Amino acid sequence: MRTIVPQTQLNRPLGKAVYWTVLTVVVVVFTLVFIGPLYWLVTGGLKSTQEVIQSPPTLFPSEIHWGTYATAWRELKIGRLLFNTVYYAFGALAFQLVFDVAAAYSLSKLRPVLGNVILGMMLATLMIPSAVLIVPQYLTVLDLPLLHLNLISTPWAIWLPTVANAFNIFLLKRFFDSIPQDLLAAAAIDGASPLRTLRSIVLPMSKPILGVVSIFAVVNVWKDFLWPMLVQPNPADQTLNIGIRSLATGVPQNVIIAALAIASAPTILFFLVFQRSIMSGLTSGGLKG
Amino acid sequence: MAGTISPYKTNRRSAPAGSGSAGRGAGGRERSGLGQKVRRNLSAHGFLFGALVCFGFFTWYPMVREVVMSFQKTKRGRTTWVGFDNLRRIFDDPDFWHAWRNTFLFTLLALVLGFALPFFVAVLLNELRHAKAYLRILVYLPVMMPPVAAVLLFKYFYNPDYGLFNDILRTLHLPTSAWLNSPDTAMVSVVIAATWMNMGGATLIYLAALQGIPGELYEAADLDGAGLLRKLWHVTIPQTRLILSLLLLLQIVATMQVFVEPFLLTGGNGPQNSTMTVVYLVYEYAFDLGGNNYGVASALGLVMLVVLAGFSALYSRLSRNSDND
Amino acid sequence: MKTNGLLHRSAVAVVVAGLAFSAAACSSSGGGSSSGDNGKASDAAAPLDPATKVTITADCQPPTTKPAERKQWDDDIAAFNKIYPNVTIKATDGSPCEEPAKFTAQLAGKTQPDLFYAYFTDTNQILDAGGAQDISAYVNEKTVPALKDIDPSVLSTLKDADGKLYGLPVTNYKMGLIYNRKLFKQAGLDPDKPPTTWAEIREDAKKIAALGNGVNGYGDYSATNQGGWHFTAELYGLGGKMLSDDGKKVAFNSAEGKQVLQNLYDMRWTDNTMGATQGLKWPDLMTQTSTDKLGMYVGAPDDITYMVQTLKGNYEDYGMGPMPGGKSALLGGDGRFFKKGSTPDQIKAGVAWVNFKYLTMGKGQFDYSRNKTDGLPVGIPQPSFFGGASLAADNTAKAASATVPVQNYAPYVSTPVPGKTEPANAQQLYKVLDAAVSAVLTDKNADIAKLLTDAESQANQVLSSLQ
Repeated sequence: MRTIVPQTQLNRPLGKAVYWTVLTVVVVVFTLVFIGPLYWLVTGGLKSTQEVIQSPPTLFPSEIHWGTYATAWRELKIGRLLFNTVYYAFGALAFQLVFDVAAAYSLSKLRPVLGNVILGMMLATLMIPSAVLIVPQYLTVLDLPLLHLNLISTPWAIWLPTVANAFNIFLLKRFFDSIPQDLLAAAAIDGASPLRTLRSIVLPMSKPILGVVSIFAVVNVWKDFLWPMLVQPNPADQTLNIGIRSLATGVPQNVIIAALAIASAPTILFFLVFQRSIMSGLTSGGLKG
Repeated sequence: MAGTISPYKTNRRSAPAGSGSAGRGAGGRERSGLGQKVRRNLSAHGFLFGALVCFGFFTWYPMVREVVMSFQKTKRGRTTWVGFDNLRRIFDDPDFWHAWRNTFLFTLLALVLGFALPFFVAVLLNELRHAKAYLRILVYLPVMMPPVAAVLLFKYFYNPDYGLFNDILRTLHLPTSAWLNSPDTAMVSVVIAATWMNMGGATLIYLAALQGIPGELYEAADLDGAGLLRKLWHVTIPQTRLILSLLLLLQIVATMQVFVEPFLLTGGNGPQNSTMTVVYLVYEYAFDLGGNNYGVASALGLVMLVVLAGFSALYSRLSRNSDND
Repeated sequence: MKTNGLLHRSAVAVVVAGLAFSAAACSSSGGGSSSGDNGKASDAAAPLDPATKVTITADCQPPTTKPAERKQWDDDIAAFNKIYPNVTIKATDGSPCEEPAKFTAQLAGKTQPDLFYAYFTDTNQILDAGGAQDISAYVNEKTVPALKDIDPSVLSTLKDADGKLYGLPVTNYKMGLIYNRKLFKQAGLDPDKPPTTWAEIREDAKKIAALGNGVNGYGDYSATNQGGWHFTAELYGLGGKMLSDDGKKVAFNSAEGKQVLQNLYDMRWTDNTMGATQGLKWPDLMTQTSTDKLGMYVGAPDDITYMVQTLKGNYEDYGMGPMPGGKSALLGGDGRFFKKGSTPDQIKAGVAWVNFKYLTMGKGQFDYSRNKTDGLPVGIPQPSFFGGASLAADNTAKAASATVPVQNYAPYVSTPVPGKTEPANAQQLYKVLDAAVSAVLTDKNADIAKLLTDAESQANQVLSSLQ
């Protein structure tokens, strides 16, 4: 693959020297910037309370306190928080995959009456800061109009609102638009129903974009803050973000750091194990110009 | 917003096998009768149903409610109509202009760091022949952390007394900083932390776009004797312009709504209100300082909505014009 | 119990009522029982029938990060159920017990528990949202035997302008001067004689700062509205007022107000005893004190507990003196409110539980021998809303089980400074004043008169918009 710097330039002695210097600097700087904090996180959890807030800090813990991790795990109930977060994230993923894919497919290929108006109304919601809508949203979830259901303290309060994600529908629709209409028309002539066309033609061709949307769906729940704080008032139902933040005020600094390390570990490990497919999903997925 | 999308609708993907039957499909559609049309529409709307219900309940209906609430006030459990009082209250609040100034400053800083930096990192990584996978993973690692972990970690680093950052500066015999504690540096500190946490996503998208640039274009530029910067300017940037402008819009809209990072790092308003953004002001009216000012919060939300929508419209207009050039 | 960054939240209702206090306090208990002629009211005044079957929800069960308190809660529920076997208390834990956004949202959605936690300063917000039930008829000497000993100014924070009672106090604090005894000794000061005036604080701060090595003499908050909160406390100490008597205008642009800012300015810039790092917020001053980097600051007694339990300091190193100035000390705290629409039985059960857990000497939070066994501190001068016989009993019981060096707080306890509640719409005023305090501490050219005048006009504007 050709890039800005041509290979010929790199083959010259000066080019080679510059290249290797740049590479070394980049690798060292990136490692410090991105691994450094993680190192501090892991070792901070091993220090004593006094050592963690002492200045200047120590590069290695002067004495290893494994117990801090046990305390953090037990007292902050990280297992429970982690389970909740994963449960909400994958539930939200399932609902988004079903409803948003169906909607994008309909808007792109089935082209219903008023389809463009609906798409426009969906995209308009991208302009609204989520914090702005949170009050009326909360009142709605409390007492769904017409149905009069109260979703507070149920996972539905997190799952269902994530379906209203215009960005995902937009990404999916754009990808589906690129699938030639002829293919679908051919299937229709053969008597395939829209659902079968979706399942056997559109979805198999859409794996990259489905990967991207899945990652966004999970990451969104993973990162959300204000909304889960409001709709899951019971600490036993809370997510990592909320649970750790609220308990952090009352525990020693080293315990907090240990808790943060434990909380970060599962996703980071998951990412490292599956990084190849996640990366290729993100980079090859339909985000190219 | 709909306007901004049209430029990117271009279908670049090479058509898979089976093309050439366009006539048949179009013909089939023409022949269909009214009954068939209705049936097809019904099934199409059936596919939309789940999403429509969720949009209806969780965004469209709350939006209407928001507008209604912005003209109301609740006092002692009773809700009354107050006309434009809430709107007037916002414009009278000295914090209103202050918050907008901060929001624009934050957006500007976030553009330099959150938009330009990932692009240059992506260009840099794209040029490297080694350690690419490793570096790509590194950049994306913070995205994988729960934000509360990244934010609390940075808060710990920023501590002026025992934080790592000041210790590093002291070791290098550089002047230390008050970071989040000073009105002059609080905003920059928030942006730095936010960039560290979030730049992975944008970097990967840029990398993908860079890899899509045909190599022949660089070859041609080489033949013209173009230098590095000229190639960057005349090949790389134009070739990634579509994705760059889409991300620019998303980045601006997203940073103008930023909430979690300042909320967790400085408690929201920061020293002398230096990190108080418009969204935080909405939050403060609605939930803090004695709360219950939903009417005022809703009114401010509407103002923000109008500004963002106006901005997007302007932006889509500009980008369409430049597309037509 | 109180305390975290977002705490000391707004809006005491009680403003004016708070100043007219004692009359209202008497009327609620006396009036309640005397007017109990019709069946309904006399029914309300009677204590809970032990056979009653009722379920109430409650929040603020101690979190898992506080195992000892959590165990005590469970034990107390069990003991309570021995007396009232059919009362079920469904509790959720939380830390902090009140999160502004969640609290406000719950009030909006009327999803707060039947018996819910709130700061004294939340009364106005709760009443605005129509969230609390008038419990005046249910609270009397029979249902809450220690009622007559509760400080009327504390009770008044839980009442509306008409003197109706909506909640019961659970804990409170009164501000004073917290200081590091170790640094006092090192600086050649007498750790048993803390300064009581700002002039003395300035002198002592100079000696402490002279120790060098990054040690500051005096510290103060100036961010997240806590600068405004401490400004208020220091203003009260000098005898100043936050609001005019009718509560419609602010009154802090006064000689006392200027004095507060001038003191801070002089220590920061003239004496150089406050260090360059400002913009501090809870718990920065405690962190500095517990690492022996700070000599003195204005704070509440439970700061000491925090410095020991969470920051791993030693009780021996911390002392507490009276609020500098000594005219009055800012008083805050939290109570339990009763959700609007609760049934009479639920209210009675709630009152019985709060009385059992928080308002009975020798029981619940006042079971000092149990606190001692469980490793919780005994002897911290907090809560402090009792007077009369209850106070005497409390002091005796505390002395018998003390686990902390009580004599370290003698200067604070033996100089009784009258408590003064926070102003109405406290948080909105604090926010305005925060900027002034921060400016004084970060700008050497700060113009104190102008800062106060600007803050005054801005605060008056906020108040008028709230009318």
